[in-house]
Amino acid sequence: MQKDFEHFFYEAEDHYLNPQEMIAFKQQVSQLKERLVLYKELRNQEIVIFQLVADKLVEKFADEPPQRLKKALTHWISVMRYSAMAMLLNNSDYLRHRLLEWLTDMIHAQEMVAIETYLFQCLQEKLGKSFSSDELELLMPFLMQAQTMLLESNKKIETVSLGE
Amino acid sequence: MIDVASLVQDTSLKGNYFSPDVYLQGDFEFGLLENRHGSRLLALPETLLQALYAALEDELGEGSDVALFSCGRWWGISFYQRFAEELGEFYDKPLAEMEMIQFIQCFKECWKTHGWGTLDIDLKYYQQGFLIPKIFNSPFAQVAPQNKRPMCFLEAGILSAFFSNMTGQDLHCIQTTCESMGADCNHFVIGLAKRIKPVKAWIEEGHDHATIMELLCRNQSTVN
Repeated sequence: MQKDFEHFFYEAEDHYLNPQEMIAFKQQVSQLKERLVLYKELRNQEIVIFQLVADKLVEKFADEPPQRLKKALTHWISVMRYSAMAMLLNNSDYLRHRLLEWLTDMIHAQEMVAIETYLFQCLQEKLGKSFSSDELELLMPFLMQAQTMLLESNKKIETVSLGE
Repeated sequence: MIDVASLVQDTSLKGNYFSPDVYLQGDFEFGLLENRHGSRLLALPETLLQALYAALEDELGEGSDVALFSCGRWWGISFYQRFAEELGEFYDKPLAEMEMIQFIQCFKECWKTHGWGTLDIDLKYYQQGFLIPKIFNSPFAQVAPQNKRPMCFLEAGILSAFFSNMTGQDLHCIQTTCESMGADCNHFVIGLAKRIKPVKAWIEEGHDHATIMELLCRNQSTVN
């Protein structure tokens, strides 16, 4: 559900929206337009953004098996996709339920925090160069939500693989 | 060099299959509750669960433990098949190829979304051959007769079936602590039946979960 409009749906149950509510509604519509533009940009630039991040990751963690770096990248490509949709919906619960709650323990169990913390830094740098501050203002709350939940929670998880 | 374009093409980037906002669906007109795959779900009212416990306890006494465990075991077998099929389809790879941690995450989310409380799997004793599931806020423990004995036999049956199917070994599951007896969570021990057999006697002797695990590991090294 698009959180910005939820309030208006409920308000309109017992009255026509008043002029003030109409203004607020129009503002949400125009912001949705901006969100949609940013979403399309993120979609179109996905490969470019993450290729640069991948190159930096390989350079920094030259001794790590490529499989682990690929895994870290897939985690954050997913984070970016789900964050972009959460941004479009302006709904942080979407991001939390659909991805973060499920992914957090995996990152900690696979001991990927150090790699993914560096990955997040590179991603932030790249986004800073590719998007305006207004655009980043729309997206960053969701990426920060992901960073806090995935990389800053202190978890100790025993690791095993299926078939061991 | 990592080629991101092929990485995106070859890898599943999907998130949580059991996200409650999309997993639980229903048709109000027909009164149906379904999951996202279209499989029917059954809502268990509190009164029904209370009646189930009361009737079985009345008819079978402590024999109700075996009855509930068997129900859970049978339920768990079918449930695992559905779980494996749906996840395999969603992530586009068979469950056997899934990493243990991903399997466990999916299982935990599945448990929570079905409203059976929150599940955690402690892998500390994995090398000794034991898995320790912990369930918090179990609705089954909540409605079970209180302060009698560990009562989550239905869950123990489901867990034993699930992990037996996953590992391909016939595993048993025994509950060591229970919320119905004032514990902060429900602890279970999963392992080969003959290895965890002494656990029941240790529970009757009043040992806590930590002591039981210590005795179990000690017993294990004596047997070996």
